[in-house]
Amino acid sequence: MNILICLSAARHPVSDRPALSRLEAQAIGLATRLDGRVTGLHAGPDGEAVREALGVGLSLVDHLAIGGGVDPLEALSARLRAEAPDLILAGRRGQGGEDSGLVPYCLAEALDLPLIADAVAIETGPRPGTIRVDQALKKGDRRRITVKLPAIVTVHPLAPAPAPFVFAAARRGTIRTLPVLERHDRQDAHPGWNERPYRARPKLMRTAATPAGDPAGKLHVDPAPEEAARLILDYLEKNGIRTF
Amino acid sequence: MTRTRRDPRSEREARSVGGRHRPRFDLGLAVGASRRPRRDPRAERRGFEVFAAPRLRLDRTQTLAPIPAGPGDAPSRRSEAAAPAVRVVAAPAYLVFAVLEAAKGRLSRLDRQVLGAARLLADAGEGGGAVVGIAPAGIVDLGACGADRVLAMTGDGEMSAPARAARIRAMVEALAPRHVIFAEDGEGADLARRIAVSLRETILTDLVSLSARQAVRARDGNRTEMFGAPPRFITIGEDRVAAYGGVPCEARALDGDFNAGRSADPAILSIEPVAGDPSALSLSETDFVVSAGNGVTDIEAFKALAAALSGTPGASRVVCDAGLMPRSAQVGASGTVLAADCYLALGIAGAPQHLQGIAACEHVIAVNTDLHAKMVERAGLAIVADAQAVMPALKALVDERKRRAR
Ligand SMILES: Cc1cc2nc3c(=O)[nH]c(=O)nc-3n(C[C@H](O)[C@H](O)[C@H](O)COP(=O)(O)OP(=O)(O)OC[C@H]3O[C@@H](n4cnc5c(N)ncnc54)[C@H](O)[C@@H]3O)c2cc1C
Ligand SMILES: Nc1ncnc2c1ncn2[C@@H]1O[C@H](COP(=O)(O)O)[C@@H](O)[C@H]1O
Repeated sequence: MNILICLSAARHPVSDRPALSRLEAQAIGLATRLDGRVTGLHAGPDGEAVREALGVGLSLVDHLAIGGGVDPLEALSARLRAEAPDLILAGRRGQGGEDSGLVPYCLAEALDLPLIADAVAIETGPRPGTIRVDQALKKGDRRRITVKLPAIVTVHPLAPAPAPFVFAAARRGTIRTLPVLERHDRQDAHPGWNERPYRARPKLMRTAATPAGDPAGKLHVDPAPEEAARLILDYLEKNGIRTF
Repeated sequence: MTRTRRDPRSEREARSVGGRHRPRFDLGLAVGASRRPRRDPRAERRGFEVFAAPRLRLDRTQTLAPIPAGPGDAPSRRSEAAAPAVRVVAAPAYLVFAVLEAAKGRLSRLDRQVLGAARLLADAGEGGGAVVGIAPAGIVDLGACGADRVLAMTGDGEMSAPARAARIRAMVEALAPRHVIFAEDGEGADLARRIAVSLRETILTDLVSLSARQAVRARDGNRTEMFGAPPRFITIGEDRVAAYGGVPCEARALDGDFNAGRSADPAILSIEPVAGDPSALSLSETDFVVSAGNGVTDIEAFKALAAALSGTPGASRVVCDAGLMPRSAQVGASGTVLAADCYLALGIAGAPQHLQGIAACEHVIAVNTDLHAKMVERAGLAIVADAQAVMPALKALVDERKRRAR
């Protein structure tokens, strides 16, 4: 299986220095658990920006040299079309850039591949050429999706923690810079949008909610334990928390 | 200027009943009002009020109109607004879609905020827009949360994400809403990107601020922000836009067959839901926490109860400090801040540090021997009883109901 990890030039949320995004490190972890050849792919002005990825399990990263501020989609999709990997892994959101999480969706649209979002585990499927992806849903639920390859999968933060960083491996690995043929320097993905320095805005307060339910049925002093148990179960049932 | 002012000196004079050696007063004596008039700022302000306006307007250039005798005579704005009615938008000027996940058949906090954002944009400018809630069938409180119309996503559970996106896309194409709002969380975030990319429209994700005129999102690791008029496709983060709290809306069901694009993606071979195991979940992820405090001495019974109720076990700091529960189970300011829907507190007093951790919980059940405990005050159902007696009874009842259901 040929697996490609999309690596972005992420920045650390606190120090703003170039750092590997945790999601992409987790993606490398998921990929190395499958048996296959795992390569990184990065489109950007500087290949060294993703050297850290070589320290958490990759040995080769392909770097597509495009200018800074250029939309990487063109270069990435051309490369992916040529390479035709079986599985493409990406983070669900970028970190320190546009952070809209649109790159995988645009790639899926451009290459006409199925996209599975928010994976926490990937294993080989029941038939050759398929994989089984566990997708994280809310409140701990999962959805197990069997999908035919090739496919794009984005990784959720609840995926297993990434492998520890190995400095020697990061030095040893290769970053191979590839020429980019077409060059459409399409800038400015958001016409009509302005920029200014960020100003933190307070979130809405989660103040103690006024207790739900009618006040009359609220307080029960010294009920028999069986009666108390019944009251609690009825309350759970009425509010749709648990039904037994 | 009508209320007369008390004049203590003249009152005292009027009440004095000329004693011989020392002054004597008859305090029971009713005395007439003094001559000095007293200003009544409230009545004056009432005189300035312009009653035709829908919100409070004061016209201070008004010469003081004769002040009505009692507050009841004035046409009160409050009594007009208080009329409980259903808000109806009969012929909407435009539509605003709110795509709701409503996991397990209930609107989450973020779902309500999505509806609130849609309501905000529908009432923007000259108003007249209608909010269309797109939700699984059978959600009851959509109207109260601000939906004028409802489009049911029937048979939603077994659909794959591409099929669902195709269906919402068909709705968008058929009804041409001005805005479509999603939650930046779970399935909503996925659907929003699929639809916007397939329609080749710009989408603004994870808004940090939204008003009728301006939408703002952070980028470059919270160093710069982008702003502009709200675009067509928007996803909002949690606790960024207030939920709707006004007069209930109509929530009329719209019909229409939007199954055109239901063709499932041939690459997706099978989808099976795997129910989460609450006892294995982290506290921040679960929806129901069963929690023990210092009032619980029988920890084994507590753990068995949490498992039987399929809730995630939690604890107060005292219990964690004593080593009876792992530190990862601690709820509160220095433990985990919950996002759960329901919290069952057994023998927990409700210290401020603990209550901070459960501020987001909608339903709280308290079992405590102390009627005056803060947790009892916070709870939606409070049982004043010994937790050691309630826990086995509750477990027995759950086991019995499970057995009967089988
Ligand atoms: C900086 C700081 C941070 C803190 N952070 C946290 C935090 O994150 N989380 C946290 O929990 N605490 C925290 N605390 C501690 C907090 O202030 C309280 O001490 C703690 O929450 C009290 O725990 P409790 O309610 O279980 O115990 P208690 O205060 O001892 O209350 C026990 C309750 O159980 C009831 N009871 C007794 N016997 C029974 C019985 N048989 N049946 C039923 N009820 C019974 C009693 O009436 C009482 O209401 C923090 C404190 C500080 C100073
Ligand atoms: N320049 C890039 N080169 C390679 N992969 C990228 C690039 N930008 C984004 N990605 C991938 O797309 C994911 C989402 O990024 P974004 O759309 O920027 O939020 C990232 O986690 C990466 O996996």
